[in-house]
Amino acid sequence: MDHRPQAWGRPRDDVYGAYDASFMNPNGPNQATQSPIVTGTSVVAIKFSEGVVIAADNLASYGSLARFTDVKRLRTFADSTVIGFGGDVSDMQYLDRHLTSLAIDESYSAPSLDSDAGGPPKARLNAANLHKYLAKLLYARRSKFDPLWNHLLVAGLDDDDKPFLAAADLLGTTFSAPSLATGFGSMLAQPIMRRFAPDEEAAARLTREQAVDVVKQCMKVLFYRDARSLDSYSIAVVTKDGVDLKENEKLENQSWAFAERIRGYGTQTA
Amino acid sequence: MFMARSEYDRGINTFSPEGRLFQVEYSLEAIKLGSTAIGVATSEGVILGVEKRVTSTLLETSSVEKIVEIDRHIGCAMSGLQADARSMVEHARVESQSHAFNYAEPLRVESATQAICDLALRFGEGADGEETVMSRPFGVALLIAGYDEDGPQLYHAEPSGTFYRYDAKAIGSGSEGAQAELQNEYHKSLTIEDAETLVLKTLKQVMEEKLDSKNVQLASVTKGKGFRIYTDEEMAVVVERLPAN
Amino acid sequence: MAAMFSQNPVMNGPNYSFSDAPRTANGEFREHRFNPYSDNGGSTLAIAGADFTIVAGDTRSTSGYSINSRYTPKVFKIGGTTSSQDDATILLSVVGFAADGEALRDRLDAICKIYRYRHGKPMSVTACAKRLSTILYQKRFFPYYVHAILGGLDEEGKGAVFSYDPVGSYEREQCRAGGAAASLITPFLDNQVNFKNQYVPGSGTGHDLKEREVVPLVRRDAEILVKDAFDGAVERHIEVGDGLQMMTITKDGIEEVLLPLKRD
Repeated sequence: MDHRPQAWGRPRDDVYGAYDASFMNPNGPNQATQSPIVTGTSVVAIKFSEGVVIAADNLASYGSLARFTDVKRLRTFADSTVIGFGGDVSDMQYLDRHLTSLAIDESYSAPSLDSDAGGPPKARLNAANLHKYLAKLLYARRSKFDPLWNHLLVAGLDDDDKPFLAAADLLGTTFSAPSLATGFGSMLAQPIMRRFAPDEEAAARLTREQAVDVVKQCMKVLFYRDARSLDSYSIAVVTKDGVDLKENEKLENQSWAFAERIRGYGTQTA
Repeated sequence: MFMARSEYDRGINTFSPEGRLFQVEYSLEAIKLGSTAIGVATSEGVILGVEKRVTSTLLETSSVEKIVEIDRHIGCAMSGLQADARSMVEHARVESQSHAFNYAEPLRVESATQAICDLALRFGEGADGEETVMSRPFGVALLIAGYDEDGPQLYHAEPSGTFYRYDAKAIGSGSEGAQAELQNEYHKSLTIEDAETLVLKTLKQVMEEKLDSKNVQLASVTKGKGFRIYTDEEMAVVVERLPAN
Repeated sequence: MAAMFSQNPVMNGPNYSFSDAPRTANGEFREHRFNPYSDNGGSTLAIAGADFTIVAGDTRSTSGYSINSRYTPKVFKIGGTTSSQDDATILLSVVGFAADGEALRDRLDAICKIYRYRHGKPMSVTACAKRLSTILYQKRFFPYYVHAILGGLDEEGKGAVFSYDPVGSYEREQCRAGGAAASLITPFLDNQVNFKNQYVPGSGTGHDLKEREVVPLVRRDAEILVKDAFDGAVERHIEVGDGLQMMTITKDGIEEVLLPLKRD
């Protein structure tokens, strides 16, 4: 019998084999994230005249398993910005904590109440700021070979209070466009959104209702065709007046009639 | 020689209640003990001159090195603790080479001077654990002469870390008399030869020893030839040219 | 018996040395599967004239067969004193991995700004060109995956174009195309800028043929050439299109124009 305190509470070597403590051993290569584990699928977003509409479903998958069906992948920061996260959910939660504390710190150092307007102080941390910060963070992590496995969309307003929409991925690559979609959405939703907002001018003519309709249509198409998607989703509208976030929307007016016309695979013989 | 100035002259980085850093001020005094060095800037180039204190007839005068090259286009003359000047000059040389490597252009004279002065206040305890380089301020002043896109320039760098650009400047034990002489004699249309003569003539007046071609040293920085230390033959020619008194 | 209760690792079990690093089925070390690079497509082009330099790039950003954005600039002003870079005199174009391109641009711009403070003068293109080379080479073993082209006016006011490989090898040239469609644009440039394969009619046969004399392009002709080069590249390369960003440096400053390209 081994009486050393180090052995207390440990599985017996003769039954279970020696305990593998190598994961605690700093001597050896560190293992960084090499692939995402629990993942979220597409995020879609489109600009309109006064702001941005952004949506993502509420599913977190574990491989092909629909593991968590009530995970909110749209997060609000500094009351001014919504970030939609695709990719690894634990990395999303890390970023959520990090950005929340950043937004709190930043709000303390914001200028005091705007006495002229009498309203709350203007948020210093806008969507453009957050996007730049995230892009640098993601790029720094990929340069350390320890990436945050996300592809995210940042929706809000820029320094001039114009609608702002930009993407950043795990490599630190960034781009901005009138409509954006991550993952499957870049193939399925983006063509639909580009019909309504082919360029910035067209996006600036869209109404809020039109933009919401387009995004809802995209979520439906994604649910039809993306096997890792869900019919319960979150949708947010960001404008100068703030963030209107709905986290428990359901897809409406689904019609699977198209499925019957699909030929070439499955059980049909002709 | 000096009155005791209170305990504020012990801490290297401690201000006195009147707002002075005594150790730095003392280092300026150290320079006044050094041999005289003179620089004169003309439109064609800059002349540096130093007296070599030949303390013994057995001393090999060529081993007294008080004018050194920093780069092809920058040189400097020193007065004070020569050993201290070594690390400053070394720093400037590295900075100059690094600039040439990174930018494929020569370092500006002012930037070289600034690089040297950046070292000046790195004495005493570091702010938060940063490495301390020196235990006391430098005890040497430099006359930095160079030629760049803005033409010939002469700078004076002090242990306090400040530097100024001069048309003509004298440092060291004979600096007061020499500076007055330069004040009288300097004008903008001096040629290189005029400057050579002016430097030696001024040195001659303030030196304790009798000036000859062995106990002074000249160097020039010009556009065409860059930094050059005068050879014994060239020194003899210039000394020959001096008016006998 | 003692070995049975021992806390020491067993012979064939996990150990505490480097030899326990994760291995693949065939015994090789399992390396990081993460690939830190990607290719965002697009193409760039720069031409030096007698007293001007044009630096241009398309504005499409791609990932594989997808278009990320139709407007993602690849040409940047460097070394100005304001956030709008209005007074900049140097242009940098980067094509390849966009995140590295932006990191490189930010770094070079910061270095130019510090240089101005330290040395009290704006950086010349030749100095900037050398510095960019050392920046790239400093990351020799984790390179910025970009084809950089630097443009400006040299100390004599002549157009200057410097082109780089990802690890800092560089050369001053009359013109250079970079990126996805570089191989399509380069032969066109050889013929139209350096007059390669152009001979004086009737000057002889075979080796007696006289080459057409190379003269610097006038600005308007160079601008038309740039547009034609990109129209051709758009036709034949899927990663090129959407918009053409063209910046021209003269002694009066930098002018920027944005021209449409086919979006298919």
